[in-house]
Amino acid sequence: MTEKHQTTGAPNPVAAPSIHTLLKTTAAAMSVAAVLLVTCVLPAEYAIDPTGVGRRLGLTEIASPTLKVAEPLPSDSALAPVVNGPVGLYPAEFKFDVFEVVLAPYEYIEYKYQLEKGATMLYSWHASAAVIHDFHGEHSGAVGEGTPEAETYDKQQRQQASGSLTAPFTGIHGWYWENPGGSPITIRVTSSGYYASSVEIHSDHTRRVHTLRPANALSLAPEPPATAGGQ
Amino acid sequence: MKRRLITAILALSIVSIAPASAHEKFRIIGKITRVSSSVLDVKQTKDGKVILMFMPATITVMRNKTKGSMKDLKAGLNVVVDAIGDDLDDLEVVTVRIVPPAAKKP
Repeated sequence: MTEKHQTTGAPNPVAAPSIHTLLKTTAAAMSVAAVLLVTCVLPAEYAIDPTGVGRRLGLTEIASPTLKVAEPLPSDSALAPVVNGPVGLYPAEFKFDVFEVVLAPYEYIEYKYQLEKGATMLYSWHASAAVIHDFHGEHSGAVGEGTPEAETYDKQQRQQASGSLTAPFTGIHGWYWENPGGSPITIRVTSSGYYASSVEIHSDHTRRVHTLRPANALSLAPEPPATAGGQ
Repeated sequence: MKRRLITAILALSIVSIAPASAHEKFRIIGKITRVSSSVLDVKQTKDGKVILMFMPATITVMRNKTKGSMKDLKAGLNVVVDAIGDDLDDLEVVTVRIVPPAAKKP
C-alpha cells in the first residue's frame, strides 16, 4: 500500500522562477506602471500632463473640471455685438435681472451670467455687511494650453460694487460671495445687458439656472401729475 | 502567458496604489460631535445631519486667524470645515476653522 501510494503521489512541483526572471518581470511591471502614471494618473489626479496624452483622453478634465452652466444657450451669435466704431449692435434683446440671497454665517454662493465675448453687462450689488468677494469669469468649454480657465477681475472684501463688464471671452461671468462672520448677510444684485440666463451655485453644490426677462417686460410707472406752476 | 499575466497584475496593483483623490470641494458648518486622530464628525447647523469625514494628519487648523493643531479640536466646538470628496459620504478634511457660534438665518 505504501509503495503504491508513493508511486502515485503528488505531481511534479513547478520550478520557482530564478531571481533574474523575477527582476525582469518586476522591471517590466514597473515600466508599465510608470507609463500609466505619467499618461493617466498624473493628468487625472493633479492635472499634470507632460506628454499631452491626458488632455487628448480628456483626463485633465477630471482634475480641473470646467464649470458649465446647466442649460447651455442655443446659438449665441445674437448675444455677441456687431461692432461699428463706438457702437455695438446686438440682434438679441436687452435683458435685466434682480437677484437677492441671504447667506448664513460662513456660507458662500456664486452667481454668474453667460456672456458672449464682447457682450456688455451693467451691474450693481449691495450687501448688508462686508463680504469676501471675487468678481471673475470662467471659460465655457476647453481652453488652450497656457490659458487659465478662470480670470479674476476684482477680488477683495467689499460691501457693494457697481460697474460695467465687457466680457473678455465667452463664458460665465459673475461673483463669488462668502459670509466671513457669525451673522446672516443679505446680498442683492441688479444687472442689465445682453445675456440669456444666470446660474446660482451654492456651497452645498446645488445649482439653479434662471431665465432672465427682456427689458420690455418692465412696466412703465404712470407719470406723476404735472404741477400747476409747471407751464 | 503566465509571466505576462503576472506582469500585468503587478503593473495594475502598483498603479492602483495611487490615491483616488476626489476633486469637489465641500464646506461643512456646524458643531463637532466626535473627533479622533483620523475621523471628524460634524453636525451641520443647517439641517442637523452629522457628516463623517476622514481627517489626515496634514490638515490645517485655524482659530482666530491663528494656526492651531489637531489637538485643539474637541467635541462641542463650532467649526467651518473645508473638505474634498465625491459626495457628503466620502469627504476628506483639508482645513478646519474654529469659529464662534453662528446666528441662525432669519
